[in-house]
Amino acid sequence: MTTKPLEPIIKIRDLTKTFGTVSALSGISLDVDPSEVVCIIGPSGSGKSTLLRCIGFLEEYTSGEVQIEGRLLGYRRTASGLVRESEKNIDAVRRNVGMVFQHFNLWPHMTVLDNVTLGPRLTKRIPTGRARGQGRHALAKVGLESFADRYPSQLSGGQQQRVGIARALAMEPHVILFDEPTSALDPQLVGEVLDTMKQLASDGITMVVVTHEMGFAAQVADRVVFMDHGQIVEKGPPVSLFNAPESPRLREFLDTWRSRNMLFQNDASVTGEGEEGGARS
Amino acid sequence: MMQSLDLWVQYAPLMLRGLVTTAWICALATVVGIAVGLLMAWLGSIAFAPLRWAVRTYVEIMRGLPILILLFVLYYGGPSIGLRLSAESVGVFGLGLYSAAYFAEIFRSGFQSIPQGQIEAARMAGLTGTQIIRHIKLPQMLVLITPSMVNQTIILIKESAVLSIITVAELTKNTTQFVNETYAVIQPYVAAAVLYWLLVETVARLGRFVERRVKF
Repeated sequence: MTTKPLEPIIKIRDLTKTFGTVSALSGISLDVDPSEVVCIIGPSGSGKSTLLRCIGFLEEYTSGEVQIEGRLLGYRRTASGLVRESEKNIDAVRRNVGMVFQHFNLWPHMTVLDNVTLGPRLTKRIPTGRARGQGRHALAKVGLESFADRYPSQLSGGQQQRVGIARALAMEPHVILFDEPTSALDPQLVGEVLDTMKQLASDGITMVVVTHEMGFAAQVADRVVFMDHGQIVEKGPPVSLFNAPESPRLREFLDTWRSRNMLFQNDASVTGEGEEGGARS
Repeated sequence: MMQSLDLWVQYAPLMLRGLVTTAWICALATVVGIAVGLLMAWLGSIAFAPLRWAVRTYVEIMRGLPILILLFVLYYGGPSIGLRLSAESVGVFGLGLYSAAYFAEIFRSGFQSIPQGQIEAARMAGLTGTQIIRHIKLPQMLVLITPSMVNQTIILIKESAVLSIITVAELTKNTTQFVNETYAVIQPYVAAAVLYWLLVETVARLGRFVERRVKF
């Protein structure tokens, strides 16, 4: 990293999280600067999603600190240590954090537009008319303005996820957390979601993305973080991380990924099909 | 045939009075049942173990008890602990508290049917706990639980026939009077069956109407 002109949006210090006796995160420290895109990669069960859920305080962390724009999240500092914060104050700190989920988590009983406007209407007390205007604007950003009056079940997975992104955008958050946003999608639908995310990145939106899409990480991330066994093993710009991995664990992880990818490419060339055929196999 | 018609005309006022009594007692009992059931479901969802056990115990006792025993305890046992209720009140509260256990289970399953991910999305959108219940849980839950709630109400209406045993002048009690005074059997019970069916069918239709309204 070069100079830091601004206070980081997210500041994580010595974060740990244990589920019973199982340690999911052990001593994570990470800063995310404004307009930065940070991709978190790593094998399943490495704690990537848990880390993201701790940043959104969907998961209470065990020790350490998470600060959002300088404000401690989830706990209050008192003379005797950290005390659980009231829900109301947690909501206030969390207000500028948006989240996009692996399984979209749209509300099926509401139209697409209502999904996007519910948060702004209820929590920012924006009048319905104006909220709908902003909602349509957010839907336009993800290319789904004409789907405003449909229900989520009438949309494809990729479209649903783009609504999920629009829902997060409509809250005008200062950072958006993406929890494996393309993992639940059919291969041919991954592209549209990644394109939408690329667009957001170029708009300067701060993003933390847990992903298995190495291509996306290599192309879009300012920094890539590799996690394994609840720890950050290596972090840095994608070029150095992907081309010159230092730790053996990251090298192994990338080798596995590359050999699997190679398999796909071979398949495609053997069958003589194009990119689509390769993606399907 | 003529004779039957005469009997029915003669006893229509008595039977209709019985129907009205059955209807209002069941209506009030349903209100009690839903209110107490919702309270139970809410208390049972709070992360405080003694509360959950209390709710659990209540549900288990009520479900394990024949309604008649509960009514006897309230009506004949009540006065010995200073609880002097009219037969109608015992009917309303007995049926109400009894069905509350079943309504509580319906609400509980309704609350649990909303996927956790939707709740998390609502929390990340900044919604408060009550806003989540109001805007996310209840609207979806109502669609799912309306059929079971209608079903439970219908069961309650039919169970209310036992109130005749504790002297409530409801439809079954008045039917018995009809039988005793005329020595007729077929006509009184046919009349009772038709009237019960009308009441149940009304509730079922109301339920289907609500179902259409809450559907998304």
